Amino acid sequence: MRIGTVAVFADADAGAVHVDRADHAVSLGGGSVAETYLSIPKILDAARTGGADAIHPGYGFLAESAEFARAVERAGLVWIGPPPEAIEEMGDKLSARARMRKAGVPVVPGTDGSAADDATLARGAEELGYPVLVKASAGGGGKGMSRVDRAADLSGALDEARRIAASAFGDDTLYLEKLLAGPRHVEFQIFADLHGNTVHLFERECSVQRRHQKIVEETPSPALDSPLRSAMGAAAVEAAHAVGYVGAGTIEFLLDSERRFYFLEANTRLQVEHPITEETLGLDLVAWQIEVAQGAQLPAAWTRGELAPRGHAIEMRLYAEDPFDFLPRAGSVLEWVEPAGPGVRVDSGVDRGSTVSLEYDPLLAKVVAHAEDRRRAIERALRAIDELVVLGVETNRPLLAHVLSSAEFESGDYDTGLVSRLPPLAPPPVPPAAWIAAALSLTRRAPSNAPPAAADPWEAAKGWRPAGALD
Amino acid sequence: MAAGRCARLTSLRLESNGEEREVTLANGTASIDGKKVSFTEIRRDDMLVALEVEGSIVPVRSARRGDRAFVWCAGHVFEVRRAADRPARARPAAGESHAGLLAPMPGRIRKALVRRGEAVARGQVVLVLEAMKMEHAIRAPRDGVVTKLELREGDLVEAGAVLAEIT
Repeated sequence: MRIGTVAVFADADAGAVHVDRADHAVSLGGGSVAETYLSIPKILDAARTGGADAIHPGYGFLAESAEFARAVERAGLVWIGPPPEAIEEMGDKLSARARMRKAGVPVVPGTDGSAADDATLARGAEELGYPVLVKASAGGGGKGMSRVDRAADLSGALDEARRIAASAFGDDTLYLEKLLAGPRHVEFQIFADLHGNTVHLFERECSVQRRHQKIVEETPSPALDSPLRSAMGAAAVEAAHAVGYVGAGTIEFLLDSERRFYFLEANTRLQVEHPITEETLGLDLVAWQIEVAQGAQLPAAWTRGELAPRGHAIEMRLYAEDPFDFLPRAGSVLEWVEPAGPGVRVDSGVDRGSTVSLEYDPLLAKVVAHAEDRRRAIERALRAIDELVVLGVETNRPLLAHVLSSAEFESGDYDTGLVSRLPPLAPPPVPPAAWIAAALSLTRRAPSNAPPAAADPWEAAKGWRPAGALD
Repeated sequence: MAAGRCARLTSLRLESNGEEREVTLANGTASIDGKKVSFTEIRRDDMLVALEVEGSIVPVRSARRGDRAFVWCAGHVFEVRRAADRPARARPAAGESHAGLLAPMPGRIRKALVRRGEAVARGQVVLVLEAMKMEHAIRAPRDGVVTKLELREGDLVEAGAVLAEIT
């Protein structure tokens, strides 16, 4: 697009990959996240310093902040995102649910939020019937969400959810949803321009989750047939239309075992998993976000419904975390090699030498495989995750490979309980090559970025052999 | 003189994934727990990129931090350390150790649900640790009495810090 880019960074992240990849990078100073990436005045200052005309909020900090969107517009900059009013209406889960009900879009049965005290929620839970899900109205990303199976556990769960919601979102309003049995999580990419055109760009299947967070996504969803896809797509467009949406957004649905679908929530930003849509449609969604912000109309082919996905795409989220208990891991990346080849795409935020801290979401990279059909996409994804080299930080790659090679995932007939039903993940036997490579590494001269461990020069000169020795 | 030096064997006792092996390297032959395996190093710009083991090429990458080696091989990553550094034992459950309850990651104590001297049952939540904006329940690994608990709500803890002792 020939548009220069300005990145922002907290001082602690001066060595981060995005800083090098941008045309310019501006420091936000030091301190906590609240003083850097969440500080609206500092980001606006950085935009002025860097000479930016527009701000793309990405999909992390402030990406769904109506206050930030307004501040950007007030500063005379272009906001690459939906109108602040739409962010507000969709961002508050309770008001989004009310709005969808009015627009005729089915929502998951739940409490309406007219009162969120313990007694009212307890009555609501009895009416819905256990198990229920406790959710934060301002929530997202599974934070502050928990399953409650019986009345005795409700009050403790509400306490914990309020605490998390207050600290993560600054709002502790809660509501309850009925827990659907065996649900799938299917979302639709929507796109709207400033000229009244709203379309959907097909679905993403997001049912592979751990701790309510997605780890593998695919498109098309193996669960949808053409009539269901049309019905859900139409509901997604209706939902976007109802709030005057502009730009890229996502409408999330739950699909129950009877194939009934319910509006779950809307994400008023680009999704982490957007690359699978880009791969199957051959589009650059970020470029279209910018074009729409500049006033462009969506292409006629989109609005006439002539877009058709090509093949099948799968995304695997590589997290720095323990593959067994899913706890985040920190450390420095000692080696990093990305897989490549036809139909393999890696969107990454680290490189050799990067530091992974516990300050941020531990997502290291997204590995995307695209192929002509689902079977080939799975094979390609497995090959890609095998070829990815990440040393020095523990990651969930064993779990990703475990999911993709499971019979349940392969069948396509799975739901959000998939990860919990997998056979236990056993550590693989250590092959001879690994013992040899480890012994070589532990006895060789340490690399220049690590303290030398072997002082004996003969130990260090492993690659070198004096003539006649040892033959 | 050089020959004498080079004839010296490199012998290490290594541990990974709960397995332990005596690994000896000498002149293109490895002995793994006494089993001889021939190998050739394949390097690019001095970096080990593959090993030819018994005639098969195995792509590998390795790196080292202190006394630990990290090896990518056959689609897996292995963390290997000298066995003497840490006795081999089964992988502990999160937060559990022999001596007491360890913090699985740095964080802030959100709640202390028991007091020193209190009897606890296995599986009972002792502390709630907040990290990454999520709460992690730290549970008692066994029935017993809390003999040590000096942390209070709001305290910051490092990964591996002893949170409490239950005996």
